Amino acid sequence: MTAIAAKAASARPARRGLVITFALKLWREKRLGAVGGILFLLFLVCGIFAQWLAPYGINETNLAYRLTPPSLAFPFGTDHLGRDMLSRVLMGAQLSMLVGFLAAGLATVISVVLGLASGYFGGKVDMLIQRMVDAWMTFPDLVLLVVVISIVGAGIVQIVVVLGLLYGIAGSRIVRGAVISAREQMYIHAAQSIGGGTFYILWRHVLPNIMPVVIVLFTTRIGAVILSEAALSFLGLGVPPPAPTWGGMLSGAGRTYMYVGPWLAVAPGLCLTIVVYSVNVFGDALRDQLDPRMKGSR
Amino acid sequence: MTTVMIRAVLLSVFAWLPLASHSEEPQYGGELNVVTVYRTLSALSWDPADWVWKQNHDTGMVREQLIGADLSQSVGRGGNYHFVSDAYLPEAAFRGELAESWAFEQRPGQGRVLVFKLRRGVMFQALPGVMRAREMDAEDVVFSYNLVNNSPKLIATYFDHIEKVVAVDKYTVEFHFKAFFAEWAYRFGYGYYSAIVPRETADIDRKNWKNVVGTGPFQLSSYIQGNSQIYSKNQHYWGTEQLQGRDYKIPFVDKLKYRIIKDEATAYTALRTAKVDIQESIRWLVVDHLRETTPELKWSRRLVETGKFIALRLDQKPFDDVRVRRAVNMAVNQREIVELFYGGHAELFAYPQHPSYSGYFEPLAAMPAAVRELYDYNPQRARELLTEAGYPNGFSFNVQVCSCNPGSMDLIPLIKDYLSRVGVELVIQPYEYASHLSLMTTGSHGEGYFMDNGHTNPTTTLRKSFGSGQTWNPSRYSDPAFDVMMATVYATEDEGQREALVRQLTRDILLQAPYLFLPTVYVYSAWWPWVKNYSGELRAGAVNPGPIYARIWIDQKMKKAMGF
Amino acid sequence: MRYLLRRLLALIPTLFFASIIVFASMRMIPGDVIDLMLAQNDISTGQDRARLEAALGLDQPIVSQYFSWAGKALQGDLGRSLWKNTPVTEQLLERLPITFELGFLALLIALAVALPVGIYSAIRQDTAGDYVARSFSLLMLAIPGFLLGTVVMIYPSVWWRWSPALEYTPFMVDPLQNLSHMLVPATLLGLSISAVTMRMTRTMMLEVMRQDYIRTARAKGVGELTIVLRHALRNGLIPVVTLVGLQAPLLLGGTVIFEQIFVVPGMGILLLDAVSQRDYPVISGVFLVVGVAILLINLLVDLSYGWLDPKVRKQ
Repeated sequence: MTAIAAKAASARPARRGLVITFALKLWREKRLGAVGGILFLLFLVCGIFAQWLAPYGINETNLAYRLTPPSLAFPFGTDHLGRDMLSRVLMGAQLSMLVGFLAAGLATVISVVLGLASGYFGGKVDMLIQRMVDAWMTFPDLVLLVVVISIVGAGIVQIVVVLGLLYGIAGSRIVRGAVISAREQMYIHAAQSIGGGTFYILWRHVLPNIMPVVIVLFTTRIGAVILSEAALSFLGLGVPPPAPTWGGMLSGAGRTYMYVGPWLAVAPGLCLTIVVYSVNVFGDALRDQLDPRMKGSR
Repeated sequence: MTTVMIRAVLLSVFAWLPLASHSEEPQYGGELNVVTVYRTLSALSWDPADWVWKQNHDTGMVREQLIGADLSQSVGRGGNYHFVSDAYLPEAAFRGELAESWAFEQRPGQGRVLVFKLRRGVMFQALPGVMRAREMDAEDVVFSYNLVNNSPKLIATYFDHIEKVVAVDKYTVEFHFKAFFAEWAYRFGYGYYSAIVPRETADIDRKNWKNVVGTGPFQLSSYIQGNSQIYSKNQHYWGTEQLQGRDYKIPFVDKLKYRIIKDEATAYTALRTAKVDIQESIRWLVVDHLRETTPELKWSRRLVETGKFIALRLDQKPFDDVRVRRAVNMAVNQREIVELFYGGHAELFAYPQHPSYSGYFEPLAAMPAAVRELYDYNPQRARELLTEAGYPNGFSFNVQVCSCNPGSMDLIPLIKDYLSRVGVELVIQPYEYASHLSLMTTGSHGEGYFMDNGHTNPTTTLRKSFGSGQTWNPSRYSDPAFDVMMATVYATEDEGQREALVRQLTRDILLQAPYLFLPTVYVYSAWWPWVKNYSGELRAGAVNPGPIYARIWIDQKMKKAMGF
Repeated sequence: MRYLLRRLLALIPTLFFASIIVFASMRMIPGDVIDLMLAQNDISTGQDRARLEAALGLDQPIVSQYFSWAGKALQGDLGRSLWKNTPVTEQLLERLPITFELGFLALLIALAVALPVGIYSAIRQDTAGDYVARSFSLLMLAIPGFLLGTVVMIYPSVWWRWSPALEYTPFMVDPLQNLSHMLVPATLLGLSISAVTMRMTRTMMLEVMRQDYIRTARAKGVGELTIVLRHALRNGLIPVVTLVGLQAPLLLGGTVIFEQIFVVPGMGILLLDAVSQRDYPVISGVFLVVGVAILLINLLVDLSYGWLDPKVRKQ
């Protein structure tokens, strides 16, 4: 074996070990965050394998069994049409995860691109982008959503795109603020004086420094998007029934039957809360661990 | 918290005292808070010339009409009528409100003339800056008619049957008809657009709520859009109510308040905590729970005057074939829906005629077998019909449903399920309210269109849904023979004859099965026991609750004794 | 000063560009206001449609409709509601203060909770107190607002026959009643948005506290509190100020839910109703007013950057 290949072979296990080391470190130092991460992962897995995990179909109505409380046959009870709540909540996990990740991802990418361009270059570029952001942000979310959904029809894709755009453009201001602060740091001036190219500086210096903000942004966005979908369902604009989104179940039948069948609201409500909560603590912990300046001091 | 504790103590102390301060002597004063049957809607307009359907609901206690309901015939007072219909009053329950009497005359050269003799001594309220209190007369009736008839927002053909309206003397008004028209009282009598307003309002800003004036028992004293409408007692109102042989001046209460509450859960909370005295639209879902948590409440229920159905397009495949239409009706187990989905709070057969339209309504048992079959569950027969019609493997069709209607949104997955058992695939397409409505008005709706449609009255229910080219005819039902018969109905003076014709027409329509018929649900009203002289009546004219509220008195002693 | 003027002038093209988009897109939604009006009645014909359109001024080509609206708007006349025929400006003047009051109270409560908790969490990083504070704050964020609102509305009324005030009283009529009515929705709204502000505060505080100049100050022996207040807080507040600026539109969107549940007749509900009724002048009017408010707030946010971060001022 050549020397290079040998070196490469020994590097791979080291990289894998890095991830495991990191995870263990997280567990040791940031217990709450690690727990959050595990919970979130659990929901993610449930979401991905929902079709296989669900004991019944999500649209199998059976009036004879309507509104039965949780039991062995139906661990989360049944809803007002006799459908199994566990199956519906599992599918809801899939839908919520999908919407959450896609929209938050889109939003973060948009925020970073706009924030970097605006914050780093300043001047005319900044003015132009900020005017666009201003114009966009004068739209009350509601008008935008009703317009898009009414023209194009309600659906997951539309909601993902609109929520992504909404949070993305709004979030760019936070990134811009962080970039402006970072820009003035000593090492930036140093790098510029050395003669580093713009892209190089952005990639090697600015981006890693605003990473904590970006990570927190992404994780809060996931939670925010899932919550937004729930709020939209409350106003009648979310992913339309009979799609079993948590938000839809909660704001529809959950609220209506809150007295006679609290489990209709408890199951999706609890899941919603846990997912948003855990993704947020996880994001916090992740940021704390990743930011080199956070560690070791004090 | 302390108030709650005090209440609890008082309640427990007084609980065992016989609530026999049953002085049936009505008490004056107090405030009546109502969550109305249009819970979420504020006033849409105050100007009669705007032709807004809801206006009577907001002004019916300030303005009055020629004809109203004879509330002494209500079931609560020992009579036969519930007075819950949106816009239908049977002739036997007419009472002259501003009119003392009326009669049709046949005059040579002038045709049919309807002569109204007006009530004397009825005073318009004073409106500072516009008018002093003065007596109503025939010129005001003429003015009111012209105001709506000459409005740019007039609904074409609404008053086509009227040639002219003339004030003969101070208390006599004549309506000259081109020909007899059976719905005359609905159009201008007790209807949506027949409030009598004073001539002085000709040139003022009628859109301003402060300028609402009439002869009625209340005056509009405050309006906060989206929150409340407050009406204050008109001290000089002409009307009286007879209780136990004595005449009492009405209204009894000092203030009537409409409370606009958009959120359903909040509305029930308001009732539970006695922040409102009456609530007029309670869904069957929560009735049992409310009865449990608030046993003091009194109840009444009514069968909504709205048909719920999936309209099937007769001008397109696959529903151009009556066999297919009959098949889908038989494939859905309507009886099971009534028992298990609605828990019994529904009726199987109440459309297109409503059971309260006595004389016009025939029960299912009286219908021919071919109609009764539609309401029986027979998936076997459904499959046979489908095969016969050329769909042995079923088919797929779109149904557009309004996401604003929770009842429909709940039902549609059920129906989808029933139909899938006979091989028919129903594709659910939800739309938001205005978009959903637009589909129908522009004729671009799909093979199936899920909707609720109000009856209005025994003749309109047929005309609006099955007359050729009508807006509210989503199935595109078109039968020239039907149209001819409808015109005959309108021209028939004798009610008995009209009823027979309508019954025949109703049967014909049902045999054609233009809709997938669904059960009609019950809606409930509830009120606290201190609300007296009231048994759940809703309307004393088209969407007009004014005279009903004017006759209610609040037993303030009882209310206090109960801790509120 | 010149900067300020430039920014104010820049608002105008932004606003009108945005207003054109809203104007046009509202018309693209299926579901015409004429259909809605005609649908109220049992009989209507083609004649009615034409007559109504003319009466409402909707028979003009859309471009001229826009310009006539824009022209009047510049003079302060936002037109008349298509349904009620009352001036839009009047309706807005009625509703805007109500939403503003709700949002302002919510923001106060949010800051009152978020700032101290965020700072405390940063200073006592990773202690039990930090965890508890963050957990509670996050919980308020994670539970959907309408769920909290519904629970507060339903269960106390069933258990104790108690509910918050369910009727709005104008501040001028009875300030105490008005505040007690707004208190519950403002608190819920404030708590739910406090989490984001708290986290940002904590994050930026943590970052700033590790800066060199803080270390220097500490080395020089400056007291902890002084460090926090004079140095860390000022710089840590920049993204927080951004966030507060961001909350404005979110608050206007978020108030809708609480306006609905707690019977607060504000702009959120006005907009929702207007959209479902396709009352174009009202929608455009609300949008314009909201837009102006938000843009002004953003301007303030940008200006405050200069005051807070001296390095930026040099630009």
